[in-house]
Amino acid sequence: MYREIFGVNKGSRSTCGRVRPSSSGADRRNVCSDSALRTVPFRRRTNMSSRAGGVRVLRWSLQCAGPTRQTSGAPAPFSATRRALCSARHDDGSNRRTAAQRVQQQQQQPRAELSLQCLTDEGFSEPQARAVHEAARASTRRSDARVLPSLLALGFNPASIVKLVQLCPELFSVKGSQLQQRVGNLRKLGLVEGSLQRVISYYPQILCVPVKRVSRLVGLLRERCQFTGQQVSSILRDSPGLVQDNLGQVEYMFQYVYFRMGCRQADMVKAKLFRVSLAELQCRHGFLERRGLYQTPDKKGQTLVLNPPLKDILAVSEETYLSKIATATREEFDVFRKLLAREQEEEDEQGEEWSSDEEEEEDEQGEAWSSDEEEEVHIRARDQNTGYNKRKRKH
Amino acid sequence: MAVHVSRTFLISKFKDFFYFIQRRYRVKTKWATTRAKFPATALALQNFDATYSKQLGDVWPSVRVGMLSEQKYGALMNTFASPDDAISDLHSRGCRDFINTFETATACTRISSNIQCLVFPRGDISRFKPARPGNNGLLGYYLLDAASVLPVLALDVQPGHTVLDLCAGPGGKTLAILQSQAVRFLWANDLAGSRTARLRRTLQSYLPKEILRIIHITSFDGRNWRNMDCTFDRVLVDVPCTTDRHSLMEEENNIFKRARTKERQKLPLLQTELLLAGIQATRPGGEVVYSTCSLSHLQNECVVEQAISVARREMGITLHVQDLGSFIQIFSGTFHFAPQTATGVLVLPHLCANFGPTYMCKLQRVS
Repeated sequence: MYREIFGVNKGSRSTCGRVRPSSSGADRRNVCSDSALRTVPFRRRTNMSSRAGGVRVLRWSLQCAGPTRQTSGAPAPFSATRRALCSARHDDGSNRRTAAQRVQQQQQQPRAELSLQCLTDEGFSEPQARAVHEAARASTRRSDARVLPSLLALGFNPASIVKLVQLCPELFSVKGSQLQQRVGNLRKLGLVEGSLQRVISYYPQILCVPVKRVSRLVGLLRERCQFTGQQVSSILRDSPGLVQDNLGQVEYMFQYVYFRMGCRQADMVKAKLFRVSLAELQCRHGFLERRGLYQTPDKKGQTLVLNPPLKDILAVSEETYLSKIATATREEFDVFRKLLAREQEEEDEQGEEWSSDEEEEEDEQGEAWSSDEEEEVHIRARDQNTGYNKRKRKH
Repeated sequence: MAVHVSRTFLISKFKDFFYFIQRRYRVKTKWATTRAKFPATALALQNFDATYSKQLGDVWPSVRVGMLSEQKYGALMNTFASPDDAISDLHSRGCRDFINTFETATACTRISSNIQCLVFPRGDISRFKPARPGNNGLLGYYLLDAASVLPVLALDVQPGHTVLDLCAGPGGKTLAILQSQAVRFLWANDLAGSRTARLRRTLQSYLPKEILRIIHITSFDGRNWRNMDCTFDRVLVDVPCTTDRHSLMEEENNIFKRARTKERQKLPLLQTELLLAGIQATRPGGEVVYSTCSLSHLQNECVVEQAISVARREMGITLHVQDLGSFIQIFSGTFHFAPQTATGVLVLPHLCANFGPTYMCKLQRVS
C-alpha cells in the first residue's frame, strides 16, 4: 500500500515519492488511503526545499482527516498547506478552504446522507446544491458524501462537480477508497494532472469502472496489440469510453486495422481509432475499398494506389470524408451503409450456423504480432471458412 | 456400401444447370484451408480497374462500388397469370412500375405498355420475395435485373411481328418479349443445351399452353444462321459476354480464370459473328437490337461498328444506328446512364440504382 501511495511515479521529478514515513507506527495505522492519496498530487508539484517539513505537516493532517476518527483536528494548518501546495489553477481562495473544512467536519459526524445545507455550506450555490442532491437521490445505491471531497481534491470546482454528478449519478455508489484506488491507477497509466481532470470531466464513468477491468484493457493493448506505454496513455486520454467496451471487440477492431488496412500502432493513435465504432470504421473503410481508393498492402507493404492516411479517414467529419477522400455523394454513402449492415447481419447468422459444426481453432498467434506477417490475411466478408479466423464467435 | 463415383469426371451443379469438370480441377472448399492466391474474381477486378478507369474516368469508383455490392432486382409481372394481387401487394411495399410512369405517358415516343416491371424506389434496398404460383398455376412475376428489360423495350415489338432471340438462355428477355403480347411467332435459340432446358422450364412455369405454341426453341450455334432462309421483323442478339457483375462475385466457372483466357480473348470475334448472323436474319426494314451485360468498349461499340462495316462490305447490307436518346430521357429517373456515345446506350451500376451494366444498340436494316 505504501508503494502505491509513496511509490515512484514515472513522470515525477521530485523525490517526495521516495520519502518513507519515518515516524512511529501509530501514524501508519492512522493513515487512511483515500486521504493519503489525496495529498499525492500536491507533493508532486512540490519543488520546495522544505520537503521534510511538508511531509511532517501532511502526516499530521492525515491524522486529522480520517473520516472514521472522532477527534477534531485543527484543520487550519492542513488547509493552509493545501493551499500552498495546490496549483494556482485549482485555487478558489476562501471557498476551497471552507469547503474542505466543512466537509471534514461533516465527515467526522457519522452521517451518511447529503443535505442541501451541507452542500451550500461547501460553497455550492443553491441551484447547484439542489441539482447534486437530486442526482444523489436518483442514484440507486445509498448515496455517500465521500465522493465529493475526493472530487474536490482532484481540483474540480462546484460547477463542474454538478455537471459530473448529473452526467453520472453512479458516482455516488463509488466508495471513497475505491475512487482513490482508481484515480491512482489512472495516474499510474500516465494520465497526469491536466489530462486526468479533462478525462474525468469528459467521461466520469471511468471512475465507476473497477481497477481490474482497466488493467485488463491495458494488458490487452500493451501485450496483444503491442502499443507502447505512451500510446496507451494517449488512447485512454482520447477515448476513455474504451474501458466499458467488450475486449473482444477492441481486439477485433485492432486486428481489422492492422491486417486489413495495413496501418500501424502510431497511425492508430494519431487517428484516434477507438473513438469510432466498429460499424463506422468498417463502413468508411469498406466504401473506400470498394471504390478502389484503398488497397490492403501486400506482404511487402506495397499497394497499387496511394492509401489515404487513417486519420484522414476516421478523424474527419463525414462531409469532409465524402468530399475529399471518397469523392461520393451522401446518398451513395447512406445506401452503402444500409447494404453493408445487411451483409454483416447475414454473415453473422451464417457464422453462427457454421460455428456449431466446426471445431474451435486454436489461436496460435495470440501473443504478439510482428510487423511482417507470414501470409496474406484477408478478413473478407465472405471468407468465414478459411483457416485463419480470429473473430471470436458467439456461442 | 460403396457408391460408384466416376473417377474422371464430376457432375457439378451450379444454379440449376449441370456441367462436367475434371475431378482434378475441382476446388473442395470445405477442406481447403486457404483460398487460391489469385482467384478469378480478383483477376477480373484487376482487369476492370485497368480498362474501365480509363474508359469511364471519374465515374468508375461509383460503378465499381455498385458492382461489388448487392444487385437490385426488378419484378417482371406475368400478365398471363392475372397478377393483380401480386401487383397490389408490391405496390403496398413501395414498388412502382418504371415503364408506365407519368413521364413515359407524356413522352413523345410510345413505349410498349403491356410490359410491366416493378422496382423499389431509388435508394431502397429491400428485396423481393420469391414468386408464388397464382390461380392458374403460373408464377406471378419473374425476378431479373431491371436493366435487362430495356433492350426489349428498345426492340419495340409491334402486333403481328415475328421475333428471333438468338441467345435466349436463361430466358428473362424472352419472357419480356412475350409479355408485350404482340408476338405472332417467336424463335428462341441458345447454343448450350442446358440453358435451352432452363429456358423451356421457365417458359413452362410462366406461360399458358396457347402461348407456348407460338414459341419454337432450338439449340444450335447462332453463327450458322446465315444458312437459314427465314427472316424476322425483329431480332434480339443478347450475346455471351464477360458478364461483368457476375465475374466479380462468382468464382465458379468465371470467364476470367486462366483456363478460359483464350475463350475470353476470342469473345469479340464471336460477338461480331453472332451479330452478323442476326443482321442477316432480319428482313429489310426490320430492326436488330444488340445487347451485352458488359461495360467494355471492345465488346460493345467496337463490335457494332465492325459488324456494320463488314455487313456493308461483304454482304451489301446497309444499317442505320437508331438514336435512343429519348429512351435515356424517359428512364433517367430510374437508371444511371453513361454519357451518350454515337452508338448505343450504356446503363451504369450505381449504388442508388444498382441495375446493369447493360449495353444496347438498335440497328435498322435498310436494304
